[in-house]
Amino acid sequence: MSIQFKSITELRAMLDDKSISSSELIQESLQLAKKYKELNCFVTMNEKISVKKASSIDLNEKTNSTLSGIPLAQKDLFCTEGLRTTCSSKILSNFIPPYTATAVEKLEDAGSITIGKTNMDEFAMGSSNETSFFGNVHNPWKKGYVPGGSSGGSAAAVSAGIVPAATGTDTGGSIRQPAAHCGITGLKPTYGRVSRWGMIAFASSLDQAGPLARTAEDCAILLNAMSGHDSKDTTSLNSNVPDFLENINQPIDGLKIGIIKEFDISDLDTDVQACFEDSKKNYESLGAQFVEVSLPNISASVPTYYSIAPAECSSNLSRFDGVRFGHRAENTNDLNDLYIKSRSEGFGDEVKRRILIGTYALSAGYYDAYYKKAQQVRRLIKNDFDDVFKSVDLLMTPTSPNTAFKFGSKGTQNPVELYLEDLFTISSNLAGLPAISIPHGQVNSLPVGLQLIGNFLREDQLLNASHIFQKNSDFHLAKPNLEDF
Amino acid sequence: MDQETVRTICYLARLEIDEEKSEKIQNDLETIIELIGSLQNIDTSDTEPLFSPLEMTAFKHEDIENSDNRKDKFLENAAASNEDYFLVPRVVE
Repeated sequence: MSIQFKSITELRAMLDDKSISSSELIQESLQLAKKYKELNCFVTMNEKISVKKASSIDLNEKTNSTLSGIPLAQKDLFCTEGLRTTCSSKILSNFIPPYTATAVEKLEDAGSITIGKTNMDEFAMGSSNETSFFGNVHNPWKKGYVPGGSSGGSAAAVSAGIVPAATGTDTGGSIRQPAAHCGITGLKPTYGRVSRWGMIAFASSLDQAGPLARTAEDCAILLNAMSGHDSKDTTSLNSNVPDFLENINQPIDGLKIGIIKEFDISDLDTDVQACFEDSKKNYESLGAQFVEVSLPNISASVPTYYSIAPAECSSNLSRFDGVRFGHRAENTNDLNDLYIKSRSEGFGDEVKRRILIGTYALSAGYYDAYYKKAQQVRRLIKNDFDDVFKSVDLLMTPTSPNTAFKFGSKGTQNPVELYLEDLFTISSNLAGLPAISIPHGQVNSLPVGLQLIGNFLREDQLLNASHIFQKNSDFHLAKPNLEDF
Repeated sequence: MDQETVRTICYLARLEIDEEKSEKIQNDLETIIELIGSLQNIDTSDTEPLFSPLEMTAFKHEDIENSDNRKDKFLENAAASNEDYFLVPRVVE
């Protein structure tokens, strides 16, 4: 029986009833990665070590972890000891980390097997996976179309059924938007829920790691393993981690869902609107109640983000100087020349653009007008969320204003055009809130995502509402046909 | 934003922009700055900045001595090193 498109829960059952061994499962997953090489999901494979780990799991009969022997893919932004980690950038194209990120370590400690590192927008800067040094990732639903970004390789690998789940990171929508474009489920946890240690930083006050999977149930399995306090990350929350599977099946009678007045969905494609209206009806039939809420400052999220994220990025990426790791330019005259040439050769255009914006926003004379101002507006946005969560449990929006688009069709003339892709996702990063994207329809044979935003640390409510939706619909079961790959 | 400002920012960020891309970069930066500039219309006179969504005091480690010396491992990733140091072009004549 093929393992392609199987969920973690299904694969666990196959492993437990011995219809497949862990070695067979890993071999098949690696074979699928090779078969669909043209999707360009992976930057580096981890074949030898994964085969070895699988055979050692087969030899050890005592397995009590859900993730034991399950193949996973890791976004190539998580440091993995001994396994090349590039952030899809030329500047890190030869980097072999001396340690493993906590989130990956926890998943591997739970028995999962990393089969490879996935392609992404360079340093997670992008919404289409078109900024990778290693080339574009194709959307499994349509060749030549973007998978979304920045976790595009992870989303495509799960969507194509190569692995049942993968890790991603989300700074402004980088888990949810590719999940939406590839027809899978993606969860951005509360800021601080999952350790950032060993994640190559883009914007430290916004970055958060999370799972991409075929179902909300599988996201809960991954989140259970990834979450928890880590003394190596000073922003890691020291709070209780519930079992996210335990209450996933609760009825949602009386669940109050807010619709954000300021997001005018009548501006969207009519088919995308229709999916949204249908999902409202679905939720109503399951017992949820809808109320209109106002977040007066939410429309300022995009400009706020594009001041804060580049500022943090310009500071974080100053560590790439060609001296201690990564690409170093040859034939340089002096130390300053070495810095300039190594960075200029190593970074792509979008990364350079964001470093320059951040440097400008943080420079003397502009700091108050751009950076501080954005952080003040950020508080207003967070205050708006605090207010609405006094009266609703969740908020519901589309994940993205549109479906996946053709390579090169957005943002080439004007970068802001691509930045607006994140219109619905950015605000939860600014406020540190958890949010999930689940598939809820198709337009022109391309998936459409529905976003639910939860209150601080309420991933349990998001997963519960998503699971109940998936139990009562089959959008998450749709598969791309992949015949063009 | 003029070319001189773009050159200054590039130097501060230790980046060099190809001559043929310089006008495009200047235009892109202007567009993005215009986007960010739209925040000026929002009244934030009594609002404290929110630098992190957590607003908690950073967690502190126990100060425990650790004898794990991984110098060799860290030097392996450098393009140029000797047994003790990262090597760079001569700084002091």
